[in-house]
Amino acid sequence: MRKKSLQLVSVTRVISVLLACMLLVTFSVSAGPAAKDQSKAVSKDVQDGKKVAFSRKKGNCLACHMMAGGEAPGNIAPPLIVMKSRFPDIKKLRAQIWDAVVRNPESSMPPFGRHRIISEKEIDQVTAYIWSL
Amino acid sequence: MKKLLLLLSVLVMVMGFSLAVHASPEEDRLVFRKFYEKRFPNVATEDFINGAYSIDKAGRENWEAIEEFPPYEPFMERGREMWEKPFANGKGYKECFPDGPGVAHKYPHWDKKQQMVMTLPLAINQCREANGEKALKYKKGSINDILSYMAFESRGQITNVVVPKNDSSALDAYEQGKKFYYTRRGQLNFSCAHCHLQNAGMNLRAEMLGPALGHTTHWPTYRSKWGTVGTLHRRFTGCNKQVRAKPFKAQGEEYRNLEYFLTYMSNGLPLNGPGARK
Amino acid sequence: MLIKYKLGILLLMIAFASGQVLAADQGKAAAKPQAAEKKAVAEDPRAAAANKIILAADAARKKAGSVGGEWRDTGKMLKKAKAAVKSGAYDKAIKLAEKAGRQGELGYTQATSQQKLQLPSYVTVLYVNK
Repeated sequence: MRKKSLQLVSVTRVISVLLACMLLVTFSVSAGPAAKDQSKAVSKDVQDGKKVAFSRKKGNCLACHMMAGGEAPGNIAPPLIVMKSRFPDIKKLRAQIWDAVVRNPESSMPPFGRHRIISEKEIDQVTAYIWSL
Repeated sequence: MKKLLLLLSVLVMVMGFSLAVHASPEEDRLVFRKFYEKRFPNVATEDFINGAYSIDKAGRENWEAIEEFPPYEPFMERGREMWEKPFANGKGYKECFPDGPGVAHKYPHWDKKQQMVMTLPLAINQCREANGEKALKYKKGSINDILSYMAFESRGQITNVVVPKNDSSALDAYEQGKKFYYTRRGQLNFSCAHCHLQNAGMNLRAEMLGPALGHTTHWPTYRSKWGTVGTLHRRFTGCNKQVRAKPFKAQGEEYRNLEYFLTYMSNGLPLNGPGARK
Repeated sequence: MLIKYKLGILLLMIAFASGQVLAADQGKAAAKPQAAEKKAVAEDPRAAAANKIILAADAARKKAGSVGGEWRDTGKMLKKAKAAVKSGAYDKAIKLAEKAGRQGELGYTQATSQQKLQLPSYVTVLYVNK
Protein backbone atom coordinates (compact mmCIF):
# COMPACT_ATOMS: atom_id res chain seq x y z
CA MET A 1 0.00 0.00 0.00
CA ARG A 2 2.67 2.44 1.06
CA LYS A 3 5.03 1.44 -1.70
CA LYS A 4 2.32 1.86 -4.26
CA SER A 5 1.39 5.30 -3.08
CA LEU A 6 5.05 6.22 -3.02
CA GLN A 7 5.36 5.12 -6.61
CA LEU A 8 2.30 7.11 -7.46
CA VAL A 9 3.79 10.15 -5.77
CA SER A 10 7.04 9.81 -7.66
CA VAL A 11 5.20 9.42 -10.96
CA THR A 12 3.16 12.54 -10.32
CA ARG A 13 6.32 14.28 -9.29
CA VAL A 14 8.08 13.44 -12.50
CA ILE A 15 5.08 14.58 -14.50
CA SER A 16 4.82 17.82 -12.63
CA VAL A 17 8.53 18.47 -13.04
CA LEU A 18 8.18 17.92 -16.76
CA LEU A 19 5.20 20.23 -16.84
CA ALA A 20 7.09 22.82 -14.85
CA CYS A 21 10.00 22.61 -17.28
CA MET A 22 7.69 23.05 -20.25
CA LEU A 23 6.05 26.00 -18.59
CA LEU A 24 9.40 27.54 -17.89
CA VAL A 25 10.46 27.15 -21.48
CA THR A 26 7.31 28.76 -22.85
CA PHE A 27 7.60 31.47 -20.24
CA SER A 28 11.18 32.37 -21.10
CA VAL A 29 10.39 32.30 -24.82
CA SER A 30 7.46 34.63 -24.51
CA ALA A 31 9.12 36.87 -21.97
CA GLY A 32 9.39 40.48 -22.97
CA PRO A 33 11.80 43.12 -21.62
CA ALA A 34 9.60 43.86 -18.61
CA ALA A 35 9.65 40.26 -17.56
CA LYS A 36 13.42 40.27 -17.97
CA ASP A 37 13.81 42.94 -15.31
CA GLN A 38 11.66 40.97 -12.97
CA SER A 39 13.58 37.80 -13.55
CA LYS A 40 16.79 39.67 -12.83
CA ALA A 41 15.44 40.63 -9.41
CA VAL A 42 14.38 37.05 -8.84
CA SER A 43 17.79 35.68 -9.74
CA LYS A 44 19.42 38.14 -7.34
CA ASP A 45 17.17 36.79 -4.61
CA VAL A 46 18.10 33.28 -5.62
CA GLN A 47 21.79 34.11 -5.37
CA ASP A 48 21.47 35.79 -1.99
CA GLY A 49 19.20 33.02 -0.83
CA LYS A 50 21.84 30.46 -1.61
CA LYS A 51 24.20 32.19 0.80
CA VAL A 52 21.54 32.19 3.51
CA ALA A 53 20.76 28.53 2.89
CA PHE A 54 24.38 27.40 3.09
CA SER A 55 25.47 29.60 6.01
CA ARG A 56 25.72 27.62 9.23
CA LYS A 57 24.67 30.60 11.29
CA LYS A 58 21.64 31.43 9.15
CA GLY A 59 19.69 28.77 7.28
CA ASN A 60 22.08 25.87 7.80
CA CYS A 61 19.74 23.81 5.61
CA LEU A 62 22.47 21.20 5.08
CA ALA A 63 22.28 20.20 8.72
CA CYS A 64 19.14 18.26 7.86
CA HIS A 65 18.50 18.46 4.10
CA MET A 66 20.38 17.19 1.10
CA MET A 67 20.85 20.11 -1.26
CA ALA A 68 22.52 20.36 -4.64
CA GLY A 69 26.15 21.44 -4.29
CA GLY A 70 26.27 20.89 -0.53
CA GLU A 71 28.80 18.56 1.05
CA ALA A 72 28.08 16.13 3.89
CA PRO A 73 24.39 16.92 4.25
CA GLY A 74 22.19 15.55 7.00
CA ASN A 75 19.32 13.20 6.22
CA ILE A 76 16.86 14.16 8.93
CA ALA A 77 14.52 15.88 6.49
CA PRO A 78 13.60 15.34 2.82
CA PRO A 79 16.15 16.28 0.14
CA LEU A 80 15.53 19.69 -1.37
CA ILE A 81 14.72 18.69 -4.94
CA VAL A 82 11.82 19.24 -7.36
CA MET A 83 10.59 21.94 -5.05
CA LYS A 84 8.24 23.51 -7.57
CA SER A 85 6.30 20.29 -7.84
CA ARG A 86 6.26 19.78 -4.09
CA PHE A 87 5.22 23.38 -3.52
CA PRO A 88 3.39 24.64 -6.61
CA ASP A 89 2.50 27.68 -4.54
CA ILE A 90 5.67 29.44 -3.44
CA LYS A 91 3.75 31.07 -0.60
CA LYS A 92 3.25 27.68 0.97
CA LEU A 93 6.97 27.01 0.80
CA ARG A 94 7.63 30.35 2.45
CA ALA A 95 5.12 29.56 5.18
CA GLN A 96 6.82 26.22 5.74
CA ILE A 97 10.19 27.89 6.20
CA TRP A 98 8.64 30.60 8.36
CA ASP A 99 7.16 28.07 10.78
CA ALA A 100 6.91 24.37 9.93
CA VAL A 101 5.15 23.64 13.22
CA VAL A 102 1.93 25.13 11.83
CA ARG A 103 1.53 22.26 9.39
CA ASN A 104 3.05 19.62 11.64
CA PRO A 105 3.07 20.27 15.38
CA GLU A 106 5.80 17.68 15.84
CA SER A 107 8.11 19.01 13.16
CA SER A 108 11.74 19.32 14.18
CA MET A 109 12.35 22.12 11.68
CA PRO A 110 13.29 25.35 13.42
CA PRO A 111 10.72 28.14 12.91
CA PHE A 112 13.00 30.48 11.00
CA GLY A 113 10.47 33.30 10.80
CA ARG A 114 8.49 32.94 14.00
CA HIS A 115 11.67 32.75 16.09
CA ARG A 116 13.44 35.36 13.96
CA ILE A 117 16.36 33.08 13.23
CA ILE A 118 16.73 34.95 9.95
CA SER A 119 15.08 38.18 8.79
CA GLU A 120 11.91 38.41 6.68
CA LYS A 121 14.02 39.54 3.75
CA GLU A 122 16.31 36.57 4.17
CA ILE A 123 13.27 34.31 4.24
CA ASP A 124 12.17 35.76 0.90
CA GLN A 125 15.63 35.13 -0.50
CA VAL A 126 16.02 31.63 0.82
CA THR A 127 12.51 30.75 -0.35
CA ALA A 128 13.41 31.92 -3.84
CA TYR A 129 16.55 29.82 -3.79
CA ILE A 130 14.95 26.66 -2.43
CA TRP A 131 12.09 27.01 -4.91
CA SER A 132 14.65 27.11 -7.71
CA LEU A 133 15.96 23.68 -6.73
CA MET B 1 -10.66 8.40 3.61
CA LYS B 2 -8.05 10.96 4.53
CA LYS B 3 -10.38 12.59 7.01
CA LEU B 4 -11.22 9.29 8.59
CA LEU B 5 -7.54 8.48 8.97
CA LEU B 6 -6.93 11.88 10.49
CA LEU B 7 -9.78 11.41 12.93
CA LEU B 8 -8.47 8.00 13.86
CA SER B 9 -4.96 9.24 14.43
CA VAL B 10 -6.22 12.11 16.52
CA LEU B 11 -8.23 9.63 18.58
CA VAL B 12 -5.22 7.41 19.05
CA MET B 13 -3.16 10.41 20.02
CA VAL B 14 -5.67 11.61 22.57
CA MET B 15 -6.02 8.16 24.07
CA GLY B 16 -2.29 7.71 24.07
CA PHE B 17 -1.85 11.12 25.59
CA SER B 18 -4.05 10.45 28.58
CA LEU B 19 -2.44 7.07 29.06
CA ALA B 20 1.05 8.44 28.71
CA VAL B 21 0.48 11.36 31.05
CA HIS B 22 -0.68 9.08 33.82
CA ALA B 23 1.96 6.47 33.11
CA SER B 24 4.24 5.17 35.84
CA PRO B 25 8.00 5.45 35.43
CA GLU B 26 8.10 1.73 34.69
CA GLU B 27 5.54 2.10 31.87
CA ASP B 28 7.55 5.01 30.51
CA ARG B 29 10.68 2.91 30.52
CA LEU B 30 9.08 0.01 28.67
CA VAL B 31 7.77 2.38 26.00
CA PHE B 32 11.19 3.97 25.71
CA ARG B 33 12.77 0.61 25.08
CA LYS B 34 10.07 -0.46 22.70
CA PHE B 35 10.62 2.66 20.66
CA TYR B 36 14.27 1.84 20.01
CA GLU B 37 13.72 -1.87 19.58
CA LYS B 38 11.21 -1.07 16.86
CA ARG B 39 13.43 1.46 15.15
CA PHE B 40 16.62 -0.59 15.39
CA PRO B 41 15.44 -4.20 15.40
CA ASN B 42 18.94 -5.49 14.67
CA VAL B 43 20.58 -3.84 17.65
CA ALA B 44 20.75 -5.88 20.84
CA THR B 45 19.30 -3.82 23.69
CA GLU B 46 22.52 -3.98 25.68
CA ASP B 47 24.49 -2.58 22.78
CA PHE B 48 22.72 0.79 23.17
CA ILE B 49 25.20 1.56 25.95
CA ASN B 50 27.62 2.25 23.10
CA GLY B 51 25.55 5.16 21.91
CA ALA B 52 25.61 6.07 18.24
CA TYR B 53 28.23 3.37 17.72
CA SER B 54 25.55 0.77 18.30
CA ILE B 55 24.04 1.82 14.97
CA ASP B 56 26.91 3.53 13.14
CA LYS B 57 29.17 0.82 11.68
CA ALA B 58 31.85 3.11 10.26
CA GLY B 59 32.02 5.19 13.42
CA ARG B 60 32.24 2.06 15.52
CA GLU B 61 35.50 0.83 13.98
CA ASN B 62 37.11 4.18 14.58
CA TRP B 63 35.83 4.19 18.15
CA GLU B 64 37.04 0.68 18.87
CA ALA B 65 40.51 1.71 17.73
CA ILE B 66 40.37 4.66 20.17
CA GLU B 67 39.26 2.39 22.99
CA GLU B 68 42.38 0.24 22.53
CA PHE B 69 44.38 3.07 24.10
CA PRO B 70 41.68 4.71 26.21
CA PRO B 71 42.13 8.47 26.33
CA TYR B 72 40.48 8.59 29.77
CA GLU B 73 43.11 6.36 31.43
CA PRO B 74 45.31 9.18 32.82
CA PHE B 75 42.17 10.69 34.34
CA MET B 76 41.35 7.41 36.04
CA GLU B 77 44.87 7.18 37.40
CA ARG B 78 44.68 10.65 38.90
CA GLY B 79 41.27 9.75 40.27
CA ARG B 80 42.67 6.70 42.01
CA GLU B 81 45.23 8.92 43.71
CA MET B 82 42.49 11.29 44.82
CA TRP B 83 40.53 8.39 46.22
CA GLU B 84 43.51 7.10 48.21
CA LYS B 85 44.79 10.43 49.48
CA PRO B 86 43.28 11.61 52.78
CA PHE B 87 41.86 15.13 53.13
CA ALA B 88 43.60 17.68 55.36
CA ASN B 89 41.52 16.45 58.32
CA GLY B 90 42.81 12.91 57.89
CA LYS B 91 39.55 11.50 56.56
CA GLY B 92 38.88 10.72 52.91
CA TYR B 93 36.45 9.62 50.24
CA LYS B 94 36.59 6.13 51.70
CA GLU B 95 34.68 7.29 54.77
CA CYS B 96 32.00 8.97 52.67
CA PHE B 97 31.63 5.96 50.38
CA PRO B 98 32.03 3.00 52.71
CA ASP B 99 31.07 0.53 49.95
CA GLY B 100 34.11 1.54 47.92
CA PRO B 101 34.56 3.44 44.68
CA GLY B 102 32.38 1.15 42.51
CA VAL B 103 29.07 2.71 43.49
CA ALA B 104 28.09 4.74 40.39
CA HIS B 105 25.07 2.47 39.89
CA LYS B 106 23.59 3.81 43.13
CA TYR B 107 23.24 7.25 41.55
CA PRO B 108 21.19 9.20 40.86
CA HIS B 109 18.87 8.40 43.72
CA TRP B 110 16.16 10.16 45.65
CA ASP B 111 17.55 11.63 48.85
CA LYS B 112 14.65 11.67 51.24
CA LYS B 113 16.39 13.72 53.88
CA GLN B 114 17.42 16.51 51.53
CA GLN B 115 14.26 16.10 49.41
CA MET B 116 16.20 16.14 46.16
CA VAL B 117 17.80 13.99 43.53
CA MET B 118 21.31 13.06 44.65
CA THR B 119 23.89 12.56 41.94
CA LEU B 120 27.40 11.19 42.27
CA PRO B 121 29.16 14.52 41.59
CA LEU B 122 26.97 16.20 44.19
CA ALA B 123 27.69 13.45 46.72
CA ILE B 124 31.43 13.85 46.06
CA ASN B 125 31.26 17.56 46.78
CA GLN B 126 29.09 17.12 49.86
CA CYS B 127 31.73 14.72 51.11
CA ARG B 128 34.49 17.23 50.43
CA GLU B 129 32.68 20.11 52.06
CA ALA B 130 31.75 18.06 55.12
CA ASN B 131 35.47 17.47 55.54
CA GLY B 132 36.50 21.06 55.10
CA GLU B 133 37.63 20.74 51.47
CA LYS B 134 36.67 23.03 48.65
CA ALA B 135 33.92 21.85 46.33
CA LEU B 136 35.03 20.88 42.83
CA LYS B 137 33.64 22.45 39.69
CA TYR B 138 30.87 20.42 38.10
CA LYS B 139 31.71 20.51 34.40
CA LYS B 140 35.47 20.65 33.87
CA GLY B 141 38.52 19.87 35.96
CA SER B 142 39.48 17.33 38.54
CA ILE B 143 35.95 16.18 39.36
CA ASN B 144 36.34 14.21 36.15
CA ASP B 145 39.36 12.41 37.58
CA ILE B 146 37.58 11.02 40.60
CA LEU B 147 34.45 10.34 38.54
CA SER B 148 36.49 8.47 35.92
CA TYR B 149 38.00 6.26 38.58
CA MET B 150 34.67 5.57 40.25
CA ALA B 151 32.99 4.93 36.90
CA PHE B 152 35.67 2.43 35.96
CA GLU B 153 35.31 0.67 39.28
CA SER B 154 31.55 0.50 38.67
CA ARG B 155 31.76 -1.09 35.23
CA GLY B 156 29.37 -3.97 34.78
CA GLN B 157 27.00 -2.82 37.54
CA ILE B 158 23.43 -2.51 36.39
CA THR B 159 21.55 0.80 36.13
CA ASN B 160 18.77 0.61 38.67
CA VAL B 161 17.17 3.94 39.46
CA VAL B 162 14.31 3.79 41.93
CA VAL B 163 11.49 6.29 42.27
CA PRO B 164 10.23 5.55 45.79
CA LYS B 165 6.47 5.26 45.91
CA ASN B 166 6.16 6.53 49.47
CA ASP B 167 7.46 9.99 48.64
CA SER B 168 5.44 11.96 46.10
CA SER B 169 8.25 14.52 45.78
CA ALA B 170 10.40 11.82 44.20
CA LEU B 171 7.78 11.20 41.54
CA ASP B 172 7.49 14.96 41.03
CA ALA B 173 11.22 15.17 40.39
CA TYR B 174 10.99 12.32 37.92
CA GLU B 175 8.02 13.94 36.15
CA GLN B 176 9.88 17.22 35.92
CA GLY B 177 12.81 15.46 34.31
CA LYS B 178 10.43 13.79 31.87
CA LYS B 179 8.81 17.09 31.02
CA PHE B 180 12.20 18.67 30.48
CA TYR B 181 13.00 15.94 27.99
CA TYR B 182 9.96 16.61 25.84
CA THR B 183 9.96 20.41 26.03
CA ARG B 184 11.03 22.52 23.08
CA ARG B 185 13.77 24.94 24.00
CA GLY B 186 15.86 27.73 22.57
CA GLN B 187 15.62 29.72 19.40
CA LEU B 188 15.93 26.56 17.31
CA ASN B 189 12.94 25.06 19.11
CA PHE B 190 14.20 21.52 19.69
CA SER B 191 13.38 19.25 22.58
CA CYS B 192 15.80 16.53 23.67
CA ALA B 193 13.37 14.06 22.12
CA HIS B 194 13.52 15.68 18.69
CA CYS B 195 17.13 14.63 18.24
CA HIS B 196 17.45 11.53 20.37
CA LEU B 197 14.06 9.86 19.84
CA GLN B 198 12.38 11.23 16.74
CA ASN B 199 15.58 11.49 14.69
CA ALA B 200 17.85 8.98 16.42
CA GLY B 201 20.03 7.24 13.87
CA MET B 202 19.68 10.06 11.36
CA ASN B 203 22.54 12.33 10.39
CA LEU B 204 22.82 15.93 11.49
CA ARG B 205 25.34 17.00 8.86
CA ALA B 206 27.86 14.17 9.13
CA GLU B 207 27.11 13.36 12.77
CA MET B 208 24.76 10.53 13.67
CA LEU B 209 22.24 11.36 16.37
CA GLY B 210 22.56 8.88 19.20
CA PRO B 211 19.65 7.03 20.79
CA ALA B 212 18.72 8.19 24.31
CA LEU B 213 18.60 4.64 25.56
CA GLY B 214 22.01 4.05 27.11
CA HIS B 215 22.85 7.74 27.15
CA THR B 216 23.64 7.71 30.87
CA THR B 217 25.75 4.56 31.19
CA HIS B 218 29.18 5.90 30.31
CA TRP B 219 29.93 9.10 32.22
CA PRO B 220 32.19 10.89 32.54
CA THR B 221 33.23 10.76 28.90
CA TYR B 222 36.34 11.71 26.99
CA ARG B 223 35.12 13.73 24.03
CA SER B 224 37.55 14.36 21.22
CA LYS B 225 35.73 17.63 20.61
CA TRP B 226 36.55 18.71 24.16
CA GLY B 227 39.99 17.14 24.16
CA THR B 228 39.30 16.03 27.72
CA VAL B 229 36.95 14.14 29.99
CA GLY B 230 33.74 15.96 30.91
CA THR B 231 30.66 15.37 33.02
CA LEU B 232 27.12 14.50 31.97
CA HIS B 233 25.94 17.93 32.99
CA ARG B 234 28.60 19.52 30.82
CA ARG B 235 27.10 17.58 27.93
CA PHE B 236 23.58 18.73 28.88
CA THR B 237 24.93 22.29 28.80
CA GLY B 238 26.32 21.74 25.32
CA CYS B 239 23.05 20.31 24.03
CA ASN B 240 21.09 23.27 25.35
CA LYS B 241 23.52 25.72 23.80
CA GLN B 242 23.30 23.95 20.47
CA VAL B 243 19.57 24.58 20.31
CA ARG B 244 20.34 28.18 21.35
CA ALA B 245 18.79 27.92 24.79
CA LYS B 246 20.46 29.37 27.85
CA PRO B 247 21.86 26.35 29.66
CA PHE B 248 20.87 25.62 33.24
CA LYS B 249 23.31 25.33 36.12
CA ALA B 250 25.29 22.11 36.28
CA GLN B 251 23.96 20.11 39.24
CA GLY B 252 21.03 22.53 39.53
CA GLU B 253 17.57 21.09 40.04
CA GLU B 254 16.64 21.02 36.33
CA TYR B 255 19.61 18.94 35.21
CA ARG B 256 19.50 16.65 38.24
CA ASN B 257 15.85 15.87 37.59
CA LEU B 258 16.62 15.33 33.93
CA GLU B 259 19.39 12.92 34.91
CA TYR B 260 16.94 11.13 37.20
CA PHE B 261 14.45 10.57 34.39
CA LEU B 262 17.02 9.79 31.71
CA THR B 263 18.93 7.31 33.86
CA TYR B 264 15.69 5.60 34.83
CA MET B 265 15.00 5.05 31.12
CA SER B 266 18.23 3.03 30.96
CA ASN B 267 17.38 0.83 33.95
CA GLY B 268 18.63 -2.68 33.33
CA LEU B 269 21.59 -1.61 31.20
CA PRO B 270 25.13 -2.17 32.46
CA LEU B 271 27.47 0.72 33.26
CA ASN B 272 30.47 1.13 30.94
CA GLY B 273 32.08 4.39 31.99
CA PRO B 274 34.22 6.24 31.52
CA GLY B 275 33.39 6.56 27.85
CA ALA B 276 35.08 7.90 24.75
CA ARG B 277 33.21 9.77 22.06
CA LYS B 278 33.97 11.91 19.04
CA MET C 1 59.10 57.68 18.51
CA LEU C 2 59.14 61.22 19.81
CA ILE C 3 57.72 62.51 16.58
CA LYS C 4 54.87 60.07 16.81
CA TYR C 5 54.20 61.14 20.38
CA LYS C 6 54.14 64.77 19.42
CA LEU C 7 51.96 64.05 16.50
CA GLY C 8 49.56 62.23 18.81
CA ILE C 9 49.34 65.19 21.11
CA LEU C 10 48.80 67.48 18.21
CA LEU C 11 46.01 65.27 16.94
CA LEU C 12 44.39 65.18 20.35
CA MET C 13 44.53 68.93 20.54
CA ILE C 14 42.89 69.24 17.17
CA ALA C 15 40.21 66.83 18.24
CA PHE C 16 39.58 68.85 21.35
CA ALA C 17 39.64 72.11 19.57
CA SER C 18 37.06 71.05 17.07
CA GLY C 19 35.01 69.57 19.88
CA GLN C 20 34.91 66.12 18.38
CA VAL C 21 34.08 63.24 20.64
CA LEU C 22 35.29 61.00 17.86
CA ALA C 23 38.66 60.59 19.54
CA ALA C 24 36.98 58.59 22.28
CA ASP C 25 36.26 55.80 19.85
CA GLN C 26 39.86 55.61 18.87
CA GLY C 27 40.77 53.92 22.07
CA LYS C 28 42.96 54.20 25.11
CA ALA C 29 44.79 57.35 24.09
CA ALA C 30 41.85 59.46 25.09
CA ALA C 31 41.32 59.66 28.81
CA LYS C 32 39.95 63.15 28.85
CA PRO C 33 37.62 62.85 25.89
CA GLN C 34 35.97 59.93 27.70
CA ALA C 35 34.82 62.27 30.39
CA ALA C 36 33.47 64.54 27.73
CA GLU C 37 31.64 61.58 26.21
CA LYS C 38 30.08 60.66 29.52
CA LYS C 39 28.66 64.11 29.74
CA ALA C 40 27.31 63.72 26.25
CA VAL C 41 25.67 60.43 27.18
CA ALA C 42 23.91 61.98 30.09
CA GLU C 43 22.64 64.78 27.94
CA ASP C 44 21.77 62.93 24.78
CA PRO C 45 18.07 62.07 24.75
CA ARG C 46 18.83 59.12 22.46
CA ALA C 47 20.93 57.55 25.21
CA ALA C 48 18.02 57.75 27.60
CA ALA C 49 15.74 56.23 24.96
CA ALA C 50 18.18 53.39 24.32
CA ASN C 51 18.62 52.73 28.02
CA LYS C 52 14.88 52.56 28.46
CA ILE C 53 14.58 49.93 25.74
CA ILE C 54 17.49 48.00 27.20
CA LEU C 55 15.84 47.99 30.60
CA ALA C 56 12.56 46.72 29.16
CA ALA C 57 14.38 44.04 27.15
CA ASP C 58 16.27 42.90 30.21
CA ALA C 59 12.98 42.56 32.05
CA ALA C 60 11.64 40.44 29.17
CA ARG C 61 14.76 38.29 29.32
CA LYS C 62 14.36 37.76 33.06
CA LYS C 63 10.67 36.95 32.61
CA ALA C 64 11.58 34.24 30.11
CA GLY C 65 14.23 32.96 32.50
CA SER C 66 11.66 32.74 35.31
CA VAL C 67 9.85 30.01 33.37
CA GLY C 68 13.02 28.33 32.09
CA GLY C 69 12.61 29.78 28.62
CA GLU C 70 15.58 32.09 28.22
CA TRP C 71 17.52 31.83 24.97
CA ARG C 72 21.26 31.53 24.61
CA ASP C 73 22.21 34.87 23.10
CA THR C 74 19.74 37.30 24.67
CA GLY C 75 22.02 38.25 27.55
CA LYS C 76 24.96 38.72 25.19
CA MET C 77 22.88 41.01 22.96
CA LEU C 78 22.02 43.19 25.92
CA LYS C 79 25.67 43.41 26.96
CA LYS C 80 26.52 44.52 23.46
CA ALA C 81 23.67 47.01 23.51
CA LYS C 82 24.94 48.53 26.74
CA ALA C 83 28.43 48.80 25.29
CA ALA C 84 26.98 50.45 22.20
CA VAL C 85 25.28 53.10 24.33
CA LYS C 86 28.59 53.82 26.03
CA SER C 87 30.32 54.36 22.72
CA GLY C 88 27.51 56.55 21.47
CA ALA C 89 26.19 54.08 18.88
CA TYR C 90 22.59 54.59 19.91
CA ASP C 91 20.95 53.22 16.79
CA LYS C 92 22.93 50.03 17.11
CA ALA C 93 22.08 49.83 20.80
CA ILE C 94 18.38 50.25 20.16
CA LYS C 95 18.41 47.66 17.40
CA LEU C 96 20.16 45.12 19.60
CA ALA C 97 17.93 45.81 22.58
CA GLU C 98 14.78 45.46 20.51
CA LYS C 99 16.03 42.16 19.18
CA ALA C 100 16.82 40.98 22.69
CA GLY C 101 13.42 42.08 23.93
CA ARG C 102 11.67 40.08 21.23
CA GLN C 103 13.79 37.06 22.11
CA GLY C 104 12.68 37.43 25.70
CA GLU C 105 9.04 37.52 24.67
CA LEU C 106 9.39 34.59 22.29
CA GLY C 107 11.23 32.50 24.87
CA TYR C 108 8.53 33.24 27.43
CA THR C 109 5.78 32.28 24.99
CA GLN C 110 7.63 29.13 24.03
CA ALA C 111 7.92 27.98 27.63
CA THR C 112 4.44 28.94 28.78
CA SER C 113 2.77 27.38 25.74
CA GLN C 114 4.20 24.05 26.88
CA GLN C 115 3.21 24.19 30.51
CA LYS C 116 1.48 20.86 30.17
CA LEU C 117 3.53 17.86 29.16
CA GLN C 118 2.94 17.11 25.49
CA LEU C 119 4.25 13.74 24.44
CA PRO C 120 4.83 13.23 20.72
CA SER C 121 2.51 10.86 18.88
CA TYR C 122 5.29 8.41 18.03
CA VAL C 123 5.65 7.83 21.76
CA THR C 124 2.00 7.93 22.84
CA VAL C 125 1.08 5.39 20.19
CA LEU C 126 3.31 2.87 21.96
CA TYR C 127 1.35 3.28 25.18
CA VAL C 128 -1.86 2.37 23.38
CA ASN C 129 -0.53 -0.76 21.72
CA LYS C 130 0.79 -2.15 24.95
